[in-house]
Amino acid sequence: MLSNEEIRDRIINVTTMILNIDSSQIKNDSDFASDLGAESLQSVELVAGFEEEFEIEMDEEEALSVSSVGEAVEYIAKVVADQHG
Amino acid sequence: MKLVIYEDSTYENFYPFSLVRPVFELRCGATSLSEKLRRNFPSLDVAYSTRSYLTDTFQAKVGSAQVNNLPALDDDLFIANGRWLCINTQITAEGPEEVGVKEGSIVYVRVQQETVRKYLGQDLNEFLNTVLEVLPKKAVEEELVSYCWDIVHHNSDALVADFQFLGQAGVHGKMHELSCVYGEESQVFVASEAVIQPMVVLDSTEGPIIIEDGATIFPHSRIEGPCFIGQDTQIVGGKIREGCSIGPVCRVGGEVEESIIHGYSNKYHDGFLGHAYVGEWVNLGAITTNSDLKNDYSTVEVKLNGQLIDTNDTKVGSFIGDHTKTSIGTLFNTGSIVGMMTNILGGSEILPKTIPSFCLFANGKTFKGFGLRKFLQTAETAMGRRKVPLTEAERQMLTYAYELTKDERQEAVKKSRRQILSN
Repeated sequence: MLSNEEIRDRIINVTTMILNIDSSQIKNDSDFASDLGAESLQSVELVAGFEEEFEIEMDEEEALSVSSVGEAVEYIAKVVADQHG
Repeated sequence: MKLVIYEDSTYENFYPFSLVRPVFELRCGATSLSEKLRRNFPSLDVAYSTRSYLTDTFQAKVGSAQVNNLPALDDDLFIANGRWLCINTQITAEGPEEVGVKEGSIVYVRVQQETVRKYLGQDLNEFLNTVLEVLPKKAVEEELVSYCWDIVHHNSDALVADFQFLGQAGVHGKMHELSCVYGEESQVFVASEAVIQPMVVLDSTEGPIIIEDGATIFPHSRIEGPCFIGQDTQIVGGKIREGCSIGPVCRVGGEVEESIIHGYSNKYHDGFLGHAYVGEWVNLGAITTNSDLKNDYSTVEVKLNGQLIDTNDTKVGSFIGDHTKTSIGTLFNTGSIVGMMTNILGGSEILPKTIPSFCLFANGKTFKGFGLRKFLQTAETAMGRRKVPLTEAERQMLTYAYELTKDERQEAVKKSRRQILSN
């Protein structure tokens, strides 16, 4: 079972890779769009990146409604628990 | 006696177009395959058989005609395969019981009520398999289309046949004095409510041209026959070369050759489309272009439903499903199959030859995109601009098509995901 800390670290890794930003810019309450500059296409890429990283399938609409890093940690933790036990 | 037009089991060969319509609703020439059948047997009431999830949306299009109603077939029947390109045929509905066959496929079945009562159960295709065993077979040389590129291949012949059937000629609409018919005017029909603006050439030297009511041909357009420009279509300075069927309600510019564009689709700007088949409600961004000929002139292979198929044809363009949109500068390779309701951000590279339905294709990768609801919202917006509602039955049918195409989409999405984190 992944801890929320592990999930957060991995989310940050994927985010830095896709948005091409430094990890120091990413805080728990960072908003992917307004703080980290994710445009709509990059949001779709982030969802795909998280799915690959955690080997999960996310509902597109639910995933795209997640706005901050902290929310992403909670949402992905739930999906990981649902799909991997 | 009734005419029954049915789909056989090869409907997947016509994906993505047959995801949202029966195969016999595909256009070839100025009319659909089913219209050609109906006009060839005009005295018969018509009934249809198609996949069950298409029943409601198709029923809405055909009004009171019977759709998927087997009890209504208690009659003498002339049953026609919906893949039959019924032009210039000598076959009649009247005659002895028999099964017309071409290369193992049923073209038609002529059967009496007594036989119908004896063998027709809950499934028309099972009934057809039975009568294929028990009735006399007759080999016929009719044309059964097998893939969408067959339809494109036969489009010019179908246009000529449709023009002959129309039986009308001459320029009845408003044609500016600075435009001309180059060729025989008897090979041109411009309907009374069509408008031909200045500096237009209607070239009928190689085949007939039909321009329907409400169509407008803007200046500097050249239209070569055989060609069909459907109702309320605008040709906006286009070079429309031979063998094209466009409309109704399309806006088309640039260069188009031997292509079929279903209703409500736009290719407003420059760019070349050749030997292509385009569904309804498609929007092709500026400079969207397809290749229809390989540099080595070899026959074109198409990957359809996971199978690589040699078309045995050197001229094959792209096949673009309903509601798909392309960005500026999208470049399709020879023999590309592009799914329906897909959003393509093309970029400057030639795209993969297969792109699934209901996805977002961008930066060379396939994504799930923004979800089905967003796809439906976009469709509703696009249709609303033309004052056409997206009905509940259409939503359900599209949702079913979304599920049907899930595996193919998922496979492409997973492949792209691996690339994202490995780059």
